[in-house]
Amino acid sequence: MTCEIKEKTRVGTVNPIFTCQPAGAQFVSIGVKDCIGIVHGGQGCVMFVRLIFSQHFKESFELASSSVHEDGAVFGACGRVEEGVDVLLSRYPNVKIIPIITTCSTEIIGDDVDGVVRKLNEGLLKEKYPDREVHLIPIHTPSFVGSMVSGYDVAVHDFVKYFSKKDKPSLKINLITGWVNPGDVTELKHLLAEMDVEANVLFEIESFDSPLMPDGSEISHGGTTIEDLTATADAQGTIALNRYEGSKAAKFLEKRWDVPAIIGPTPIGIRNTDTFLQNLKSMTGKQIPQSLVRERGIAMDALTDLTHMFLADKKVAIYGNPDLVIGLAEFCLDLEMKPVLLLLGDDNPNYKTDPRLLALQENVDFEMEVITNADFWELEDRIKNKGLELDLILGHSKGRFVAIDYAIPMVRVGFPVYDRAGHYRYPVVGYKGATWLAEQMANALFTDMEYKKNKEWILNVW
Amino acid sequence: MSVTAKQAKAAERKYQPIYTSNPLADCDPLTQERVGQLENYIMKHCLWQFNSRGWDRRKQNAGILGKTAQLLCGEPVDNPTPLEKCYWVDAVCLDRAYRELFPWITTLPADEIKALIKALHARLDWLTIDGSLNTELIVQNY
Amino acid sequence: MPHHEFECSKVIPERKQHAVIKGKGEDLTSCLPKGYLNTIPGSISERGCAYCGAKHVIGTPMKDVIHISHGPVGCTYDTWQTKRYISDNDNYQLKYTFATDVKEKHIVFGAEKLLKQNILEAFKAFPKIKRMTIYQTCATALIGDDIDAIAQEVMDELPGVDIFVCNSPGFAGPSQSGGHHKINIAWINQKVGTLEPEITSDYVINYVGEYNIQGDQEVMTDFFKRMGIQVLSTFTGNGSYDDLRGMHRAHLNVLECARSAEYICDELRERYGIPRLDIDGFGFKALGDSLRKIGLFFGIEERAEAIIAEETARWQPELDWYKARLQGKKVCLWPGGSKLWHWANAIQEEMGVKVVSVYTKFGHQGDMEKGISRCGEGALAIDDPNELEGLEALEMLKPDVIFTGKRPGEMAKKVGVPYLNAHAYHNGPYKGYEGWVRFARDIYNAIYSPIHQLAMVDISKDAIPTDRGFVTRRMLSDKGLPEEITSSTVLSPYTGKFDSVSHLRTKTYPDFPRAADTAGDAEEIIAVVE
Repeated sequence: MTCEIKEKTRVGTVNPIFTCQPAGAQFVSIGVKDCIGIVHGGQGCVMFVRLIFSQHFKESFELASSSVHEDGAVFGACGRVEEGVDVLLSRYPNVKIIPIITTCSTEIIGDDVDGVVRKLNEGLLKEKYPDREVHLIPIHTPSFVGSMVSGYDVAVHDFVKYFSKKDKPSLKINLITGWVNPGDVTELKHLLAEMDVEANVLFEIESFDSPLMPDGSEISHGGTTIEDLTATADAQGTIALNRYEGSKAAKFLEKRWDVPAIIGPTPIGIRNTDTFLQNLKSMTGKQIPQSLVRERGIAMDALTDLTHMFLADKKVAIYGNPDLVIGLAEFCLDLEMKPVLLLLGDDNPNYKTDPRLLALQENVDFEMEVITNADFWELEDRIKNKGLELDLILGHSKGRFVAIDYAIPMVRVGFPVYDRAGHYRYPVVGYKGATWLAEQMANALFTDMEYKKNKEWILNVW
Repeated sequence: MSVTAKQAKAAERKYQPIYTSNPLADCDPLTQERVGQLENYIMKHCLWQFNSRGWDRRKQNAGILGKTAQLLCGEPVDNPTPLEKCYWVDAVCLDRAYRELFPWITTLPADEIKALIKALHARLDWLTIDGSLNTELIVQNY
Repeated sequence: MPHHEFECSKVIPERKQHAVIKGKGEDLTSCLPKGYLNTIPGSISERGCAYCGAKHVIGTPMKDVIHISHGPVGCTYDTWQTKRYISDNDNYQLKYTFATDVKEKHIVFGAEKLLKQNILEAFKAFPKIKRMTIYQTCATALIGDDIDAIAQEVMDELPGVDIFVCNSPGFAGPSQSGGHHKINIAWINQKVGTLEPEITSDYVINYVGEYNIQGDQEVMTDFFKRMGIQVLSTFTGNGSYDDLRGMHRAHLNVLECARSAEYICDELRERYGIPRLDIDGFGFKALGDSLRKIGLFFGIEERAEAIIAEETARWQPELDWYKARLQGKKVCLWPGGSKLWHWANAIQEEMGVKVVSVYTKFGHQGDMEKGISRCGEGALAIDDPNELEGLEALEMLKPDVIFTGKRPGEMAKKVGVPYLNAHAYHNGPYKGYEGWVRFARDIYNAIYSPIHQLAMVDISKDAIPTDRGFVTRRMLSDKGLPEEITSSTVLSPYTGKFDSVSHLRTKTYPDFPRAADTAGDAEEIIAVVE
């Protein structure tokens, strides 16, 4: 019985699990108030990312392109950034922050984005916008390095590094959520409120689930402000829930401003949520209240109804963002399930030494594989050609056809989810998230039993 | 392609304008009214007048309206090549639509029909080629 | 020139050249916006890139091909599963996409070896597929990989394998339209004429500029087959790679989306003498005229007339049911390119709605010429509208519905304007007679949605009727309609099924005997030109 962590052996990618770095930076950018990012590259790098955000959240988000065309690719396109900043500022009077997000093309042609920012700061901003607060932040996210996950990590770091500044020590903590959904933020804020902990939630994307108001006034945008970002240096500590999405910023705050950092765990499942609360307690001295004991009890009650009767020994494949995948795998183990295949869609060298993966290696009592730099063919090929039998797939919508074609029940989780309604509204973190996940998994199995007439009568007397 | 054929092609693509202003500007009101009706039908329902290059538009307009005039006058139409046949197809549809929607046209003698379609042709060349604001008409390749 | 200046764009004066309002007596010599120019950076345009124009719009609908993008994974991921171009081979092209996964070391040292490994891996993973298209991306264009050489090398090593190379990096043009052009020209230069097709009919067409969105191609092909016409190839929806290599043997090119595919038709006309016939598959009259023209070309007009009569009798009462209820509703058209002119007149005449604006994301001035000609006075035409202009126009025009893409559709939703997906459709297909009724049905469902009506109510201010538990679409749409319409026994709302396409795949068609002496037709046609 072994758990192997190995890199995909093919060089190519058949059906990618992740998109590239600039998408991660763009996700961070839309989480900030009064901020519109300019993606420096071809127009597709923005258009499609905006599309996928709108597919996932069923909302529209503002991101601009420097629209690099042929001439820019040949002669350099710094001028496109200068023009883009001016056009954006002149038409969007509320915009204060413009991250300049690079792409493969503009990194290869070697555009000096930092130099452009200096030039704009000394020239255009002083001359044309002297009374306006404007922050230009270069964010380097070449597409041929890392993935959307590292792009997110880099951008969170760059925002925090740019704004963080010591003022007065505060009792607040920084909570860096990682790549989550509005439902997750709501749940995290709920846990914080129950713990009576004041937190600076980065990035505050709860409002991505925004209303359709009768006067048509509402648009979706993030809620993290310049003040929030600045105050990160004054916090009494930082908890970055995800090792790969935000820990770089937490480490920066620790090193630069002596703000102690706790990295992880992603509070998916009961155990990780317990740990998260313990971490909050140790960081702030606040006690875990009875209300959460009770809330946890409701979750335990729900899980007990499901785990050994329905979920035990079900074989699961999980793919997506690494912290999410690992958290789900850990939760599945607590639920007596067998996460036999984990697919991580990039080649981050740190996976090999991730203590959570090492713990899996040490302790699982069934055949398990963790594939890094993985694509969907790693999943499909095993099912189609190598005899892998699965009871369940957990992952985002891009893998939907594997589930459909091989008739394997699937629970949508992660980003993007565009083929199920309202998933962004529900948490996977916290006790509520644990209940929701387990019930989604059970219901997916139940529906499958009924479609396939596979012991569907069991449910007559549950 | 031979050298002369290439030269001919290049010359065709560097076409010269025929009209420098609306050729119907000084026409009598009745002709203007009639051409207006015929033109409006083409603009609302046809696509053949909008090939992407000016030299093609010139050929399309001439080919289709030439055959339309013949059909309206009840003359035999010769289609020696597939390209000619394709013009004829659009001309047949135009001829039928005109007869149905504008029955007055069937009451005109042949020379008046010819004159009217000639005016329509001029107007269409003006609208879609010589007076057009489309800057891509003169691009030399497809 | 009746230019329209947006408040939000006063600071970028060149934008004024890109919007016009068609006034009384205006024609194309006085009323045409600029188009297909470089995008203004930072304007928040809706445009995509030349890579997606080549790969996503035209390349990928080819159904029996390994579509591999040579670059980092993002381009591949982003253009995967974001369109609805289906196929009759279980949607292979929707399900599988390939990226060479270029990483930093390849940027430094070159990615040609990586590309070759990728090609071999992909053919190994899918041994039944022997055809491949390689798409260049920004990254590999800039490092200068010789993709053509690698493709040739593999073709030399693997007999039976054929590879098409499309060099259309994202930056190659102001919008996706640059990529449409590049892949059109690349296909005719590299592939047309490299395979001799089997000719099975006296009447042979290529169906060009048709991408089988939700089954459009299959609906239209059904008409052609019922006429005894051989559809040699479709460029490219539900199209087969090898069929498209034989395009030179068709007698007629039937062109649907001239925006994206006129180039190959023009080149086929120039090089092989095959005529180009532009058609509209949308709208009863336009579609009828289109079928009629094809019938006339081949001397089989009666076969077209039979279809037109049958289909019209079947679907006209349903179209008219909607027309009576959509009369005077205002619509904004904001498609990519061709649908602005395909729809501009037909929906006004056949559904009674008023087109108050035509926008284009990536169209050229030629598309605006067609669109402006086809819409009425007072219509606003915008080239490449940006985010703020789109909103300002909605505020100004107050349409009842907008036809646009997913993302701008979400924006419209927030200001209370329902949207229909102009690119991928809501519940299509929209081509064909039944499709056109489905379109009318979707427009009706959007405009008269009781939920849409409820969204506009402010419970803190408005009078709230407390005596009703529901409202139906009919209660909203039939208010004030004359009795002869509301109680008509002839008119009917749509009666078709959720899936109107799949049954066509197993349909059998009448055998039309061929004329004995026409076997050499194709050669003759070519001889005429040469």
